[in-house]
Amino acid sequence: MTQEKKPEKKPEKRRTATEAASRIGAMSKAMIASVLQAKEEGKPIAYTFICCCYDEIIRAMDIVPHWVENYAGICGAKRDAQRFLERAGAENFSRSLCTYALCGLGFDAWREELGEMPPNPPWGGQVRPNMMLGSGQILCDPRNKWYQAAQHYVPDVPVYEIGLPWPPYEYDYDYRQVQDYYVKYIVEQLRGLVEFLEKQTGRKMDWDRLSELVDLTDRTWNLIWETYELRRAVPSPMGTGDAMNTMVPIVFMMATQQAYDFFRELNDELRRKIANKEGEIPDEKYRLIWGGGLPSWFALTDFNYFNSKGAVFPVETTYRMVEAIYNFDIDLTKVTDPLEHIAWRWVKYWTYWYDKARKRPGSHPDVERLIQYIEDYKIDGIVMHEAFSCRTWHVGLIWQLNLLKKVYKNMPSLILESDIVDVSSYNEADTRARIDAFIDTLEAVKSKGR
Amino acid sequence: MKSQYFAGVDIGSTMTKVVIMNQAIVASVIGPTGPEHRKLANRVMEEALAKAKLSFDDITYVVATGYGRINVPFADKQITEISCHARGVSYLLPEARTVIDIGGQDSKAIKLSNGRAVDFVMNDKCAAGTGRFLEVTAEGLGVKLDDMGRLSLAAKNKVEIGSTCTVFAAQEVVAELSAGMPLPDIIAGLHEAIATRIYGMARRLKIEREVALTGGGAKNIGLVKALEVKLGYPVLVPPEPLLTGAIGAALLGKDIVKKAAESGISLPRSERRLREATLFG
Amino acid sequence: MPGKAAGVGLAAADKYYQDYGYQARELKRQGKRIMGYLCAYVPVEMLTAAGFIPFRIKGDVNEPITKADAEMETIVCPLVRSCFDMSLKGKYEFLDGIVIPHACDSICRTYNIWQYTLNLPYSHLINMPHSTDDSSLNFYKAELNTFRRSLGRFARKEISDQSLKRAIQLYNQNRAKVRELYQLRKSDPPLISGVELTKTLVAAVSLPVEEATKLIGSVIDEVKQRKTIPAPKSARLMVIGAQMDNVAFIDLVEKSGAWVVADDLCPGARESLADVELTADPVDGIAERYLRRIYCGRAYRERKGSYHEYMEERFGHIARSIKDFRVDGVVLYIYKYCDPFGFEVPEMKSYIESMATPVLYLEDEYSMSTIGRLRTRIQAFLELLGSK
Repeated sequence: MTQEKKPEKKPEKRRTATEAASRIGAMSKAMIASVLQAKEEGKPIAYTFICCCYDEIIRAMDIVPHWVENYAGICGAKRDAQRFLERAGAENFSRSLCTYALCGLGFDAWREELGEMPPNPPWGGQVRPNMMLGSGQILCDPRNKWYQAAQHYVPDVPVYEIGLPWPPYEYDYDYRQVQDYYVKYIVEQLRGLVEFLEKQTGRKMDWDRLSELVDLTDRTWNLIWETYELRRAVPSPMGTGDAMNTMVPIVFMMATQQAYDFFRELNDELRRKIANKEGEIPDEKYRLIWGGGLPSWFALTDFNYFNSKGAVFPVETTYRMVEAIYNFDIDLTKVTDPLEHIAWRWVKYWTYWYDKARKRPGSHPDVERLIQYIEDYKIDGIVMHEAFSCRTWHVGLIWQLNLLKKVYKNMPSLILESDIVDVSSYNEADTRARIDAFIDTLEAVKSKGR
Repeated sequence: MKSQYFAGVDIGSTMTKVVIMNQAIVASVIGPTGPEHRKLANRVMEEALAKAKLSFDDITYVVATGYGRINVPFADKQITEISCHARGVSYLLPEARTVIDIGGQDSKAIKLSNGRAVDFVMNDKCAAGTGRFLEVTAEGLGVKLDDMGRLSLAAKNKVEIGSTCTVFAAQEVVAELSAGMPLPDIIAGLHEAIATRIYGMARRLKIEREVALTGGGAKNIGLVKALEVKLGYPVLVPPEPLLTGAIGAALLGKDIVKKAAESGISLPRSERRLREATLFG
Repeated sequence: MPGKAAGVGLAAADKYYQDYGYQARELKRQGKRIMGYLCAYVPVEMLTAAGFIPFRIKGDVNEPITKADAEMETIVCPLVRSCFDMSLKGKYEFLDGIVIPHACDSICRTYNIWQYTLNLPYSHLINMPHSTDDSSLNFYKAELNTFRRSLGRFARKEISDQSLKRAIQLYNQNRAKVRELYQLRKSDPPLISGVELTKTLVAAVSLPVEEATKLIGSVIDEVKQRKTIPAPKSARLMVIGAQMDNVAFIDLVEKSGAWVVADDLCPGARESLADVELTADPVDGIAERYLRRIYCGRAYRERKGSYHEYMEERFGHIARSIKDFRVDGVVLYIYKYCDPFGFEVPEMKSYIESMATPVLYLEDEYSMSTIGRLRTRIQAFLELLGSK
């Protein structure tokens, strides 16, 4: 048997600005442990993707989710993903594919070959699931290819895919002309998912419970949005570094009381900090927006590096996957059927910035969102990250910056280049040099303004 | 019947090898590849003939292989190094089922079955899985490439090299050396890094024992050991690992001549062998 | 009708291939409107029915990508980047608009870049679902009708059922002609080379459908009447991949001593296998073909039975091609950064090898700069096949 490569020297732990964010590590670990426990107890476990509308549905049926993207992120953060990426490469998956998928597929191939977990798996490992729930959205090819490819290693594990589109932004018609058939389709797809899950588990959906969880989710969305809006304060009490922790309850614990309570506590903490004029750092010089791209999970300490130069991140678009329900142009509370409610919430979330874009000639919803945040959060510059293995979220960054310059104003911007999980793409010296140069630009712009 | 001689010419990116064989090897020459492949091929062939005390007419068939195989004007046939290494290793080490060849600028893995290649995988794009990786990092460390293997044997705690990019790795090892890390430990780390790349490539073939190592990399004892650690078992290294391609080429020439004789086909031969004086012009 | 006709047969195919867009420029001069599109998933029947000449945008393997990098990230599939680079360099300045399908991430996530940078009078993203179940089909029909209305507005004329039905017939005829062309590959040696066939198909997607059908027909006639017998080659290969809009790779294979006798490529067998059924509502037939009858990794097919049956469902058409065209070896020619095909490589390789057919998996970057590396691999693969 081969001696597997030992993980690299333990990465520096990132300092958090909030106490709430510092608790996420333990919460995350407990979540993984609970999945391993559930496996032992014979509970039904599903491989799941984030932002697929099915949080409330699986929670209502007591299906235990294993978030494969999260597990790959953990391997990345621990700098112990290389051996799984290499294993996927050995299976003839191209190393240019989504590295979450390569990590997951490599792990699964290895686990199935051994008949047990690979040696020393991060946090106990990735369990063999009972089912895999993919999706065919306009978002992300891996969401409809990953589990299909995984079946090569676990051919007896059923896969179910749901279509989850949203209306594209076009000039020659308003999305409201098509939203009805989008919602109808999503409802049908979700209904199909419920039928599948009922068949797999032998349980019946408790529709009342589902309605409760839908309501809880609405309230959680509102709370998250309000909490993040608190970061508009000067100095800002919390940055994107912390948000890359607090995303855990947003995307992995939605529709649970735990997620709501977490944000209740975070909200209280931010209010306290604002009352005491406590910022992310004592001497806030530059306020930045993380304008796009998933972070490098193995290099979250770069946020501390930014901090050391006086830069803070009051706002980000990444993982801010909520809007306040009461800001939608329809009264969502009037939609009582839970599946329709979920579908409308989905469509309204993804089209939220369309009206704004129509009001500014030549603009686009993605850019309108940036502009709103730049103004609300008093932003001096934009940082984006281009992760080589993810076309979904990292194509169009250059275009957004170009368009922002064209329709709004020219702001200092920086695009970092690396990956989400594959640490071999990252060069710390190079990254920090780029950050230093960016800080110089910010300083130059600031002094000109004085 | 008069003994037939066969020649194999392997023009690699770094080294050029010629082998003349009948029942066994009668002469072999290894020299560094320069930019002028044609002239070099001629010169090395002349050298080998001199060593074997043969004239060019004594050679029944010449097969050229390697990166520069199209620049051997007196070759009767060009065959890729995949087939040649497979044939050469099958001859030298009949128990081998996988060949891993580590050259100066490329590396490859070949799956063997019944003495022939049945599958292969190559890396000729990224320097990090080839001899180049060691060449560049050795230079950065101020060490001769040929000493890398020997020096690494003294390692106590190998240093983890994070960069997979050759250029970044060169920077990294210089930094490690400046920080006071022992040279053997660093070199052992480099060997481990390149072994990881090579192992990763070879695994795409579902490696079967025995595994034979060829090419310049096989002469590096440190790299051989690092690969054995990855595989979890020892590898076979032929006595002169640089010659397997040329040996295989010569043998494939022999096979071709034998097959043609059996089926009564006349072989297409290189034009050049009919000309004498201008052959090595 | 075309203006200066470039002749017929292989000479014409070569001309339209080398000077890609020649006919479109001609037609534009005559006042026709040209609608550019990416990928085999755009319903060209609708473009034709609306009175536009559909024009398949292609890249150029000989042209290094330069201008595109200022607007489009380099992690996009190299084929899409090259197409965009060509567009920026003015190669397709005759386009009145562009239609882009939600085929894959590289195509749909660059839609904004195409739309905003080229700033053509018309652009549209057809939001085609990945799933192929009945509710997805209904959704897709609704999307096609949205497109129909949108295109009709731009054409300043509603697209009638009648015009759609006529266009459907024309394209079905065209595909039948392509299938006839493929029959020429079945003999040993094939009557038409891979280079000749691909040149013809690429030329065809730059032409109005009736002209394209005529061109293909003239090539079939010419080839059938040829007197010379091609030299024997060592192996019959099949090439599988996404869009192959040039003959560089196939030429390399054929110069190395093999025939390319079968494919699963675009333009190629993938696009010609299935026709649009003539349904009462023509959009029904269009939706069915485009969502379900094109076998490409971007379409997610539900698994109904065992894993083995699932493999048959997804890759059975490859097995049939291997059998029908007596294929000795298969080349998987996959672009770097390609998710729909990249995720399927292990399964495809395993499936084809289970038929005792060797597979060569190549990851390439859509550029002539890699041709030397490919040459060695192809040659090695042929040697391997030869020693079986």
